[in-house]
Amino acid sequence: MRTTARRAVQAVCVLTTASLLAACGAGKERPSEDGTAVGVTDTTIKVGAHFPLTGPAAPGYSEIPSGHQAFYEYVNDAGGVHGRKIEMVVKDDAYNPTNTSAVTNDMILQDEIFAMVAGLGTPTHRAVVQRLNDDGIPDLFVSSGSLQWGDDPKKSPMTFGWQPDYEIEGKIIGKYVKENMPDAKVGLFLQDDDFGEDGEKGARQFLDSQIVDVQKYTPGGSTDFSPQMSSFKSKGVDLVLGFNTPSYTALSQIAAQGVGFKSKWFYSNVGSDPALVGGLLASMTKGKIPAEQGVKLMDGMMTTEYIPGVDAPEDEWVKLWQKVWDNYSKKGDEKLTNYRIYGMSQAYTFVQALQANGKDLTRESIVETLEKEGGSFEGPGLAPFRFSEDSHMGISGTSVVEIKNGASEPLTPVQVTDIGDAPIEEDDSAASDAPPSSGIPE
Amino acid sequence: MQQFLDTTLGGLVLGAVYAAFALALCLIWRSTRIVNFAQAAMAMVTTYIALSLINADVPYWVAFVAALAAGFGLGALIERVIIRPVEGKAELNAVILTLGLFMVLHGLTAITFGVQHRGFPAPVSTNAIEVGDTSIGITPFGILSIVVVAVVMAGLVVLFRFTDLGLRMRASAFNGEVSRLLGVRVGRMLTLGWALAAAVGAVAGMLIAGGDLVNPSFMDPFVIYGFIAAVLGGLDSPLGSVIGGLILGLSLSYVTGYVGEHLAPLVALGILMVVLLVRPSGLFAAAAARRV
Repeated sequence: MRTTARRAVQAVCVLTTASLLAACGAGKERPSEDGTAVGVTDTTIKVGAHFPLTGPAAPGYSEIPSGHQAFYEYVNDAGGVHGRKIEMVVKDDAYNPTNTSAVTNDMILQDEIFAMVAGLGTPTHRAVVQRLNDDGIPDLFVSSGSLQWGDDPKKSPMTFGWQPDYEIEGKIIGKYVKENMPDAKVGLFLQDDDFGEDGEKGARQFLDSQIVDVQKYTPGGSTDFSPQMSSFKSKGVDLVLGFNTPSYTALSQIAAQGVGFKSKWFYSNVGSDPALVGGLLASMTKGKIPAEQGVKLMDGMMTTEYIPGVDAPEDEWVKLWQKVWDNYSKKGDEKLTNYRIYGMSQAYTFVQALQANGKDLTRESIVETLEKEGGSFEGPGLAPFRFSEDSHMGISGTSVVEIKNGASEPLTPVQVTDIGDAPIEEDDSAASDAPPSSGIPE
Repeated sequence: MQQFLDTTLGGLVLGAVYAAFALALCLIWRSTRIVNFAQAAMAMVTTYIALSLINADVPYWVAFVAALAAGFGLGALIERVIIRPVEGKAELNAVILTLGLFMVLHGLTAITFGVQHRGFPAPVSTNAIEVGDTSIGITPFGILSIVVVAVVMAGLVVLFRFTDLGLRMRASAFNGEVSRLLGVRVGRMLTLGWALAAAVGAVAGMLIAGGDLVNPSFMDPFVIYGFIAAVLGGLDSPLGSVIGGLILGLSLSYVTGYVGEHLAPLVALGILMVVLLVRPSGLFAAAAARRV
């Protein structure tokens, strides 16, 4: 009798364990037969990214994921990539590295993403880059121009940059200023992290003797920049190079007016979106300037450009983005913006990499594909990627432009270079790449 | 020299804004003996109310008054509904409650108005004033800020020192039981104290937001800096709050302009520590006599 009871208990235990195991496994699809990567099935690929959807860095940047999602929907509706549909998980880190670690953990353990694609921000992404590489998770196309994503592939073999890094941007800006404004007294306005440091490093290669003042700000700190602008004014600065995010472009302009500091301004691509900054400026000075004229406040500012934007509606790429956005935006009343174009352009590169990889997709194979073939991808970028076994750096160049009426007018052809003392050369060859008629990379 | 002048003027304006905020803290302390950590969040709410009105094309000054009225109402409401139930219990209870309130107001504002940054207009120019050929580092809006803070401070001094109402408010805060025995309607005084403080906070919010960007956390640095300014001057003294605010504003402005922005928070905390070590009751507090 006792034996029977014990048997019964054992049986119950076994059954319970089995059903628990089954329950845990429920909802998970079988891994793909052609490759056994987490996050990939025969019909889906799941990727994730952290973005600041709230907080000081959110204006503009929070629009990037909607560009990604619209382009993936577009590709999915056309049958996906090798029969797999792309799904993107987006988590808010509010541009706070502590949050970035937490949401990345969620994405790895709960959402079980195949790869991180386009996680945004230098201080934020730095908090998770080691973790992603240790776990062997592809960390593709970081939305930041810091050098650390691509200059040392041995240290971070899974991580790839996407946009031109701040050092080459600084170099290209520095060379332009040296050649065209050799008498300018230059002030640097820098975000106090890698963004500002890398930009300064590049600019100093050409402008070391012209730089008379350096002022910094901490993101999320004080928003009153009068002391910094007073310092520029007293040192006779007549050209400011700003390596800062968009809100800080607006705030630095207001502060400069507040202390009567007049200068030419040259903002890094990151902080120069005319529509966004102009809108913020107009709303801060409401009553004096109608909102639609906000972009006029940006007239005469210089910046760089590496993908075509909304101010070039006739560009073939922009036509494609417009078509995708018109049909696949989740919020129908919102307009296409440069940030959404940025997201779609990154998404295009990701789809391109998946196509080139072929049907057998693993975490290792996508890295190998990018190292072997990424350098020859043709896409919206005005200059080619630098992807190889020795470099995971992104787009290799920019052009210098001046903003007029919210549109950019080129001042130079595309300038291509690399980090360190690599020479800067004119190379317009990638700028003429056109999208395939389907709009989906082949 | 020019930079010193500009930085000083900038520091004065910044200081005036800290002072406005410190005044609100001082007011609540004077009339209820608690430190209100939700002050910044309450001012943020009223500023958003004003911004909504301005964006609906209501004139700036009407919106300004509306923010004040909203602050007055919000302060009274919070005192009656949230703070009153813990009255008479340990003071810490009320303080912790204000911390919770801070988070709740943050969340509600984010849900109602969204989290994106929005420009907030100023009623007068935010461009530097030009004297002859040189522009000096102060704007009409900066001057307006200083004037408004001076008026508010004077009003509070008059209220507390020269009016019967002010006396009753101070008495209620200092010893509710005795005041009650003497016929002061203590509950009403506490409500009024909160309402007035929130109205002053609303003024501070409007001055901070003018010509700047607002988002639900735009007032957060002022929780710390305003508190430091108030402690610096002695929580009890309106004049002390203003001078504390000015000292803090000038220090932060010099540090940012001459040394580096990254050191500003450290300097603020350094000042707080020195004051607490050397003169814990603040530079202008007359509280020592009372402590007997």
